[in-house]
Amino acid sequence: MDPYSAEGELINIHNHFHQGQYQEVIDYDTSALSPENALPAQVLVLRARIALGQFEDVLAEVQGESEPELASIGALAQQSLGQTDEAVAAIKTLAESHAGNSTVQVIGGTVLQAAGHPEEAIALLSQHQGSLDAVSLIVQIHLQQNRNDLALKEVTAARRWAQDSLLVNLAESWVGLRQGGEKYQQAFYVFEELAQAPATSSVASLVSQAVAELHLGRTEEAQAALEQALNKDPTNAEAIANLFVLAVVTGRDPSKMRANLEAAAPTHLLLADLEEKSALFDKAATKYSAKVSA
Amino acid sequence: MQASGSTMLTKFESKSSRAKGIAFHPKRTWVLVALHSSTIQLWDYRMGTLIDRFEEHDGPVRGIDFHRTQPLFVSGGDDYKIKVWSYQTRRCLFTLNGHLDYVRTVFFHHELPWILSSSDDQTIRIWNWQNRSLICTMTGHNHYTMCAQFHPKEDLVVSASLDQSVRVWDISGLRKKHSAPTSMTYEDQVARANQNQADMFGNTDAVVKFVLEGHDRGVNWVAFHPTMPLIVSAGDDRLVKLWRMSETKAWEVDTCRGHFQNVSSCLFHPHQDLILSVGEDKTIRVWDLNKRTAVQTFKRENDRFWVIAAHPEINLFAVGHDNGVMVFKLERERPASAVYQNNLFYITKEKHVKSYDFQKNMDSPTLLSLKKLGSPWSPPRTLSYNPAERSILVTSAGDNASYELINLPRDGSGAIEPTESKRGSGNSAIFVARNRFAVLNTSTQVIDIKDLSNSTTRSFKPPVGTTDIYFGGTGNLLILTPTHVHLYDIQQKKSVAELAVAGVKYVVWSNDGLYAALLSKHNVTIVTKTLEQVSTLHETIRIKSATWDDTGVLLYSTLNHVKYSLMNGDNGIVRTLEQTVYLVRAKGRNLYCLDRTAKPKILQIDPTEYRFKLALVKRNYEEMLHIIRNSSLVGQSIIAYLQKKGYPEIALQFVQDPTTRFELAIECGNLDVAVEMAKELDRPKLWSRLAAEALAHGNHQIVEMCYQKLKQFDKLSFLYLSTGDHSKLSRMAKIAEHRGDFTSRFQNALYLGEVEDRIQMFKEIDLYPLAYMTAKSNGLEEECQSILEATGLTEDQLTMPTIGEPLTPPKPVVPTYKSNWPTKATSQSIFEKALLGQVEGLSLEDDAAGANGFGLDEAADDEGPTKRDVGLVDADVDEDAAGWDMGEDVVPEVDSDFVNVESTEAGGASSSEAELWARNSPIAADHVAGGSFETAMQLLNRQVGAVHFAPLKPRFLEVYQASRTFLPASAGLPPLVNYVRRTVDETDLRKVLPIVPRDLEFLATNDLHRGYDAMKANRLDDGYKIFKGILHAILVNAVSSESEVDEAKKLIASASEYTVAMGIELSRRNLGTPDVVAQDPEKLKRSLELSAYFTIPKIEVPHRQLALLSAMHLALRNKNYNSALSFANRIIANGGASKILENARKTKAQCERNPHDAVEIEFDQFAEFEICAASYTPIYSGTSYEECAFDGSKYHTKYKGSVCRVCEVCEIGKHGSGLKLFA
Repeated sequence: MDPYSAEGELINIHNHFHQGQYQEVIDYDTSALSPENALPAQVLVLRARIALGQFEDVLAEVQGESEPELASIGALAQQSLGQTDEAVAAIKTLAESHAGNSTVQVIGGTVLQAAGHPEEAIALLSQHQGSLDAVSLIVQIHLQQNRNDLALKEVTAARRWAQDSLLVNLAESWVGLRQGGEKYQQAFYVFEELAQAPATSSVASLVSQAVAELHLGRTEEAQAALEQALNKDPTNAEAIANLFVLAVVTGRDPSKMRANLEAAAPTHLLLADLEEKSALFDKAATKYSAKVSA
Repeated sequence: MQASGSTMLTKFESKSSRAKGIAFHPKRTWVLVALHSSTIQLWDYRMGTLIDRFEEHDGPVRGIDFHRTQPLFVSGGDDYKIKVWSYQTRRCLFTLNGHLDYVRTVFFHHELPWILSSSDDQTIRIWNWQNRSLICTMTGHNHYTMCAQFHPKEDLVVSASLDQSVRVWDISGLRKKHSAPTSMTYEDQVARANQNQADMFGNTDAVVKFVLEGHDRGVNWVAFHPTMPLIVSAGDDRLVKLWRMSETKAWEVDTCRGHFQNVSSCLFHPHQDLILSVGEDKTIRVWDLNKRTAVQTFKRENDRFWVIAAHPEINLFAVGHDNGVMVFKLERERPASAVYQNNLFYITKEKHVKSYDFQKNMDSPTLLSLKKLGSPWSPPRTLSYNPAERSILVTSAGDNASYELINLPRDGSGAIEPTESKRGSGNSAIFVARNRFAVLNTSTQVIDIKDLSNSTTRSFKPPVGTTDIYFGGTGNLLILTPTHVHLYDIQQKKSVAELAVAGVKYVVWSNDGLYAALLSKHNVTIVTKTLEQVSTLHETIRIKSATWDDTGVLLYSTLNHVKYSLMNGDNGIVRTLEQTVYLVRAKGRNLYCLDRTAKPKILQIDPTEYRFKLALVKRNYEEMLHIIRNSSLVGQSIIAYLQKKGYPEIALQFVQDPTTRFELAIECGNLDVAVEMAKELDRPKLWSRLAAEALAHGNHQIVEMCYQKLKQFDKLSFLYLSTGDHSKLSRMAKIAEHRGDFTSRFQNALYLGEVEDRIQMFKEIDLYPLAYMTAKSNGLEEECQSILEATGLTEDQLTMPTIGEPLTPPKPVVPTYKSNWPTKATSQSIFEKALLGQVEGLSLEDDAAGANGFGLDEAADDEGPTKRDVGLVDADVDEDAAGWDMGEDVVPEVDSDFVNVESTEAGGASSSEAELWARNSPIAADHVAGGSFETAMQLLNRQVGAVHFAPLKPRFLEVYQASRTFLPASAGLPPLVNYVRRTVDETDLRKVLPIVPRDLEFLATNDLHRGYDAMKANRLDDGYKIFKGILHAILVNAVSSESEVDEAKKLIASASEYTVAMGIELSRRNLGTPDVVAQDPEKLKRSLELSAYFTIPKIEVPHRQLALLSAMHLALRNKNYNSALSFANRIIANGGASKILENARKTKAQCERNPHDAVEIEFDQFAEFEICAASYTPIYSGTSYEECAFDGSKYHTKYKGSVCRVCEVCEIGKHGSGLKLFA
């Protein structure tokens, strides 16, 4: 039986992970699990720790381990530490020897995509055997490539064999936010359901809910959700970034949020992008000048 | 009651001896019971109370009936007597004698003053209860007549007898005889006088019309159908028979078989096609009138049934059995309903699904017919609505409870049957998520979670004894058991919280989803969404329904009241109810509910009381103030409430009665009020209480006053001592002396430390030893000697105790008496202040917007500083926008070939949505949002000749930033970037467009008003920037319609005028200080000119008045009386604030005496001209000029080719295709 299925042992810890409840994953009591599920659970715990920023600790812990699962975790930790080349090299070796291992696929896919090798990531991930983790990653990679059509295809296919899964719902919502229209509302329902239930609420789901609401034009609700998220984690970069966007949308002064973001995540996508656009503006503006200078 | 089949909906049960007759009161909630023990009982079945007992019959009472309109009832018993009673006077009015054996039934006629009785003497008699006479005796049955009833409309009587026949009698002859009293001939009168005789022979008053034979044992009961020509009878052959009749004949239709003992009584359901019968087999049976099949059976363990009666109007029945009576209803009346936002979805008695709009107060046409749902005789029990799918879940109770999932049509088009529905068996079914619902099966105790295709996705065992389930917040269920409520997490399959509340039947969520009310029969428990109890309350009367006010007040209905409950458990009555209603929504003064017939109704309520209490709890003083001012909320109850709840200071505001005011003032420590009231009442008791309270406050001045009033000299002296007030203390001493009160004198002297005085006093009262001792101890030897002399003693004769230190009275460290102790600031709440009108923000009048110091410091004249009062300028922008060409030129740069986004080739990145925006739109703002700054600049350059983009940079980045959100997705990967659209409903990628922040509406309501405020407040530097900002924001913007384009034009023109106006005034101020300017004739001239030009731009009138006023003062001060006069005239012509006008009139009068200008300036008040926005000099009409293609500002031709001074972006004189804001 699939341990991640609705009846499986790992359903709760797995859901916690994908709902962004990393602390719950770490705190999860894994002692009662059957032996064959111990390793997948450990992988989830290690991934959660990486997500919480404990890169060195995790790296030290898996150093020298031979299982491909743990080795790939090592690569993920390395990459998070900025050692991208080593990480990619490690993943490529693992991919050759253990391409069928679903953990290697998922983590390898993450590392490759993050390192900017989407084609290779897709190639590795598409060898999966009914892993929803892989599906959701593929969907995300397609979306990052702006291939909404391919992402939609992937989700529709997965929907057929894993209807009630959290990951399919999430991936579908990601796609929905690109499609728009009624799909915004549906995505909102999914995120809201996660964000508002005490058992599943997390910063990530709250931010997602807020994003859906922002797209629906419901700025006040979006604001409330983001503030909720920041209450849980005042330095969450995504929450701050979206709050910044929200401030701009509603015509308020965003400079405080910008300062917060610069403090919390100086390398955030948004800041880099704005830097680039600012330069672009200056360059483009030089092409024009008045005939007579005043 | 053991019910085989479904449970019985019993409302009331009584214990007594055998009940043989029952009658419902047609209006009140009363039932009369005739008992075998000779007693008649009157019960209130709603309250369950015995109202009265009537005991005059001798032996069993069998027949009983209420009169429809009069306060009368009739009874008949085994004492052969028929008695007519008044339930008002609680007496038997009279007795009708005549029957020769037991009287079985008695009934009033529905309109004539007649009583119909049947008796074991084989006769049926009609009596007139007004003249108390027998008017007709119907003979024919040859055994006991068990029952006789009038037809509800026609002149017919039906009777049943143990002779096995049912007879229908025509009594039209009787009616004729008794209803034509006017023109009676002598013969008639004779005939009437002899009527009884005539009946015996001619028998024309009542003739047998039909004899119905079919029962093969005696017939016990018979009844007419209320509307149809049908008769139902019940007999000892254990059968219930249905008969039909026409004008000419009557025949048996069918037989209902099922009773296995004698059937005692039967009747037609007043509204539905049902027959009800009861029998000695201890069952109540319900039959389908049309099919004659059994619908329901209720069995009682031990008691045989003797009689059944139906309430004429509502769905209630009463049965009499061996041990009392029982009142029950056949079906649940609670209409199935669900509320979503402003709509109520409900199911009518005809099983039609309808919706009701609370905003429009409108009922929808029938959305759907559910005729085929469940059993025909059981109405749907619950309805759950899913807004995302617009579908409903309906459950029906009964033997095989089931649920049905149906999609609602978009709009009602009559009673159509649902095209497709999914069903299954289950007792409760509710939506738990957008695409999931939960179904509870109580018999198997399983909850299934199903998806919309009705397939089970998971299932689990709920806690034992689960009776019902309710929505429990997202992903959760509330599970009800007889003793507990569980909050169950569907995902984790476990109960996350539980609360011990017994017998919860309904759950009502608050509008914000944070609280829920759990309703049981007699309790309301308010819980949070995590199932923590907030408050609970008990009601003796049964609780029917509840709904939440928008402010978080729970309104609930009992059988006879609508009540409210606050979170803290405070509750009270809102209004009384005449009949049961089911609350669905509370909005302001309207309370929406469904009545018993499932029709939406609006009840008017007065929410003042609970609003006030709520405001009190939340300390929302503004709201309270508003309520106090606008409602008649006074009276003892509210005062007592406030006092009890610890708000005496607020209660104080309501009270007029001085005694109560005093009490409250003491309680809240408001001494001022207390003093005022004490003065008014002037009672010693009050003064002493006030004194004690004031002392506790340290307010010794009030204490002093109280003691004075009370004439408590000793206390007063001590007070003066302790406050150090020596002068008053010595005055006290004088008073004491005056009064001849030596004790007091001594006390004061002691306090004052005046030894001589004390000695003097002792001497006066001949206490020489004490006087001597006092003198001695204070070392006053001379005094000692004189005392000794006076008494004729010598020192040797005295035995002296040892003398200690002389007493010195203690001195207060601080001269307290000078003022009160610095008491804590009196507890004058914001509320009280508001009441006293001290808090401006709370005053209900709008504040007059004050604008002060508008450059008047330099124009200070004799009249002192003028405070200007400018009303809020209307948002309307000046009508005549300068001719700004928004021509419909073809926009050449629109790129119209779209990239094929449907391409399916795998791999490789595609272009993002943002890149599409630039392709989709000819509007510069959309290009900016898409990040395509180059093309945006190109567009602006072509449209309005924009050349200098630097000022637009913040706006470009603002628009760009607003359109991207960051969605956290998989762990370890950067967030997904999504693109915010202003076309939220659009999904075609070739039509989607980005959101643009600070759109036209925002600018008009925010920035524009900030600009106006800056103008009023004389912050011209700020205003100048704000209006330029508006211009920049419009330049990179998009609107949604052609009409908005016009509005945008107006806004541009207005912002441009303000920018020019403010620029002129700022440049005047930059000439230098008034002194500097005054010394330089050049500057003075320029200054006067600029102030004149300031009045030219087309800004809002109140603002122009400011400019004119400023110009007028400046001109006046520099003796340019002619100019000043012209400004004054314009001010007067404009009208407006009276202060300004008065000022202008004075100036005008002053200037008219000498209308000459001292300084010649270039300002022709009669010429038409515009102001060059660069040089701030006039451009007279007729001379050529250049303008900015965007904002329309005018320039002398020499400025052509330079950057516009107003928008700072466009090139003057460069024409474009016009700004595109709407595609």
